[in-house]
Amino acid sequence: MTVAATKTKAEQALSRNFEAVAAKLPGGRAVAEARKAAIGAFAALGLPHRRIEEWKYTDLRVALKEALPPAVGGAGQVSARDIDEALGTLAGLDAYRVVFVDGAHAPALSDAAGAGGLEVAPLAAALGRSDDGLIREGAPTQEAVIALNTAFMTDGAIVRIAEGARLAKPVLLVFVRSGGEARLVTTRNIVSLAAGARATIIEAHVALAGAAPGQANTLSEVSVGEGAKLTHLEVVLAGSAATHLATWLATLQRGATYRAFQLTAATGLARSNVFATFAGEGAKLDISGLFLACGAEHIDTTLVVDHAVPGCVSRELFKGVLADRARGVFQGKVIVRPAAQKSDGKQMAQALMLSPDAEFDSKPELEIYADDVICGHGSTAAELDEDLLFYLRSRGIPPDEARALLVESFVGEAIDKIEDESVREAFSSLATRRLGELSGVRG
Amino acid sequence: MLEIKNLRVKLAEEERTILNGVSLEVPKGEVHAIMGPNGSGKSTLAYVLAGREGYEVTGGEILWNGEDVLAMQPDERAAKGVFLAFQYPMEIPGVATMTFLRTALNAVRRKRGQKELTTPEFLRRVREEAGHLGIADEILKRPLNVGFSGGEKKRMEILQMAVLEPTLCVMDETDSGLDIDAVRVVSAGVNKLKAKDRAMLVITHYQRLLNYIVPDKVHVMADGRIQKSGGKELALELEKTGYAEFKSKAA
Repeated sequence: MTVAATKTKAEQALSRNFEAVAAKLPGGRAVAEARKAAIGAFAALGLPHRRIEEWKYTDLRVALKEALPPAVGGAGQVSARDIDEALGTLAGLDAYRVVFVDGAHAPALSDAAGAGGLEVAPLAAALGRSDDGLIREGAPTQEAVIALNTAFMTDGAIVRIAEGARLAKPVLLVFVRSGGEARLVTTRNIVSLAAGARATIIEAHVALAGAAPGQANTLSEVSVGEGAKLTHLEVVLAGSAATHLATWLATLQRGATYRAFQLTAATGLARSNVFATFAGEGAKLDISGLFLACGAEHIDTTLVVDHAVPGCVSRELFKGVLADRARGVFQGKVIVRPAAQKSDGKQMAQALMLSPDAEFDSKPELEIYADDVICGHGSTAAELDEDLLFYLRSRGIPPDEARALLVESFVGEAIDKIEDESVREAFSSLATRRLGELSGVRG
Repeated sequence: MLEIKNLRVKLAEEERTILNGVSLEVPKGEVHAIMGPNGSGKSTLAYVLAGREGYEVTGGEILWNGEDVLAMQPDERAAKGVFLAFQYPMEIPGVATMTFLRTALNAVRRKRGQKELTTPEFLRRVREEAGHLGIADEILKRPLNVGFSGGEKKRMEILQMAVLEPTLCVMDETDSGLDIDAVRVVSAGVNKLKAKDRAMLVITHYQRLLNYIVPDKVHVMADGRIQKSGGKELALELEKTGYAEFKSKAA
C-alpha cells in the first residue's frame, strides 16, 4: 500500500494512459495479454530511480516529471525532404530505407524492396497475426523500461536476413518525430540474421525541425545467427528537450560477429541499455559509441555483456565530449559465467571535459566466475591537453581551430570503429557538425 | 631583427627564476647559436619566444622586427614568422600529418594576407620539401608524430619549418637523439632555409651540430644569462674546455 502512496504523477499517468489507449494498440489476443501483464509489472516496479544500482546516475522517477500521451495510429504528413533534412549527412547514404513517423510505418517514405535475402515488415501488422514482437529470450525481466515498451509499442521494423545472404547496402531504419504535440512514441524492432548472413542496420532517431519535444521508448531485439555478421549502428539526435530511452537485446550464436556503434548527441535525456549475450562459442562483439552533450543534457550508456559460453571476445569503447553542465554516464558490466573459459573482454570509457561544470560518471564492473580469462577495463576523464594546444598554436593554428582539431582527434578513435567507409564518413560529419556547436570547442 | 633585452623569466607556479636578464640580438640573414649546460635556461628562452604558458616574464622585452612579441598569442607569433622546432615534438593521435600541415599553412597564410594553397599546390609543396628531408609519403599519412622515431620527429619539425616559411627559426636541441646521418640530413634541411631575410637561433648542448649548421655567432648561456659571445670558434673552444668555467661563475 505504501508503494501506491509514493507513485509519482508520471507513474500514475502511464498506467492511466495505457487504459485509455489499450484498445487502439495493435496485436491479437496474446499480444494484448502480454501488454496487460507488462503494464502490471510496471505498476509494481515503478519508474527506475537512483536506489536501483543500474539507475544510480539516471533517476527516471525524478527526470520524468510527466508522462506524455502515447502516439497511436496515423502518421502525420511528412515529406521525403523533411526526412532528409532531419537525417543530415545520413540522408546521402545509399540504403534500404524504412521510415516510421511518430511510431507508425510510413510506406510512402520507405523503400526496401528488391533485395535478395532481405525481408522487411512492419511490426504492427505482424502483431495482429502472431506473437511476433514478444520477447522470448534473454530479456532482463526486472526492467521497467522494457515493460513499458511491451505495453505501449505501436510499430517498428521486423528485419530478417536469410541464410548466407549478404546485403549490398545498409538498412536504414528512420524514426522521426513530427508534429506540434509532445507525445510518447514507443517502437520495437526485431532483427534476425540467419546463419552466415551479413548486414548493416542503422537506426536513426531524429526529430523534424520544429517538432515538439517528445519521449521515446525504443527496443531492438537482435539475434545474430551462426557465423553471421551484423553491424548495428544508431544515431540519436532527439532534441535537447526530448527524452530517449533505448534498449538493445542482442544474442550471438556460435562464431557470430556483432559490431555496434551508437552516436548520441543533442538529446535532453538519453539512456541506452544494451544487453548482449554470447549464446554460442567463438563469437565476437564490439560495441562502441560517442556521446556529445551540452547545456543540461544527460546521456547514459549502460551495457551488460554476458559471456555465458567459452571462447568469446568482447570489446567496448565509448567516448564522450561534455560541455556546459552536461552529464555523461557509462556503466559497463561484463559477466563471465563459470563455464565461459577463454573469455576475452576489454572495455574503455573516456570523456573529454570542456567545462568545469560537466560531469562524467563511469562505472565499469567485472563479474568473473571463470578462472582462465582475460578481462580489463579503464576509464578516464580529462580536459584538453594544454601542451598539445600550445604545439598546434605555435604552428599558427588559432585557438578555436586547435581545440576543434584536438576534439576531433579524441573522437576519431571511436568513429574509426565503423568499418564501412561511407557510413563512417556520414557519422563522422554528423559528429563534427555537433561538435562545432558545443561551447568550448569553438569560441 | 630579433632583439631580446634584459629578459627576466620565472616559473608561473613557483618562485624560481630561470632567465636572469638575457640580452641578445640576431639580425636577419644571420645564424646564431646558443650553447650551455643543462639547466642554463636555453629551452625556457625557446619556449618564451614561442609563447608557451607556465612562465611569467618579470622584466625585459622581446622585439621581432620592432614588434612586441610578448604581447602576441602563440598563433599570432607564428603568423609573424616565429617558429620553434621543439626538442620533444608532440604526438597528436587522430590528426593526420597532412591535415595538420594544411591547417597550419592555411592559417598562417590567411593571417599573412596570402592566398590559401589549392590541394595540388599544397601536396606538391609538401612532397618536395619532404623529399629533401627523406620523409616517406607513408609517414605523411600517419597521425602526427605518432609512432615516429626520434629522427623522424625531428625531420618532421624541419619539414614544418620549411612549409610554414617562418622568418625567425628557433631550433631547440634539434640534434639531440639523432645519429650522425640524421644530423646531416636535418642540417642540410636547415641550411637550405638560410636566407637574407631570415634569422636563425640554434640551441644546442653540443658543438657537433655546428659543424653542419655554421653559426655567425655563438653565445654561451649559463644561469639564465648570456655569459660570453664570440664567433664560431667559441664553439670549438667549449668543446675542449667544457662549461666548467661558466658553472664556477655561478657558484
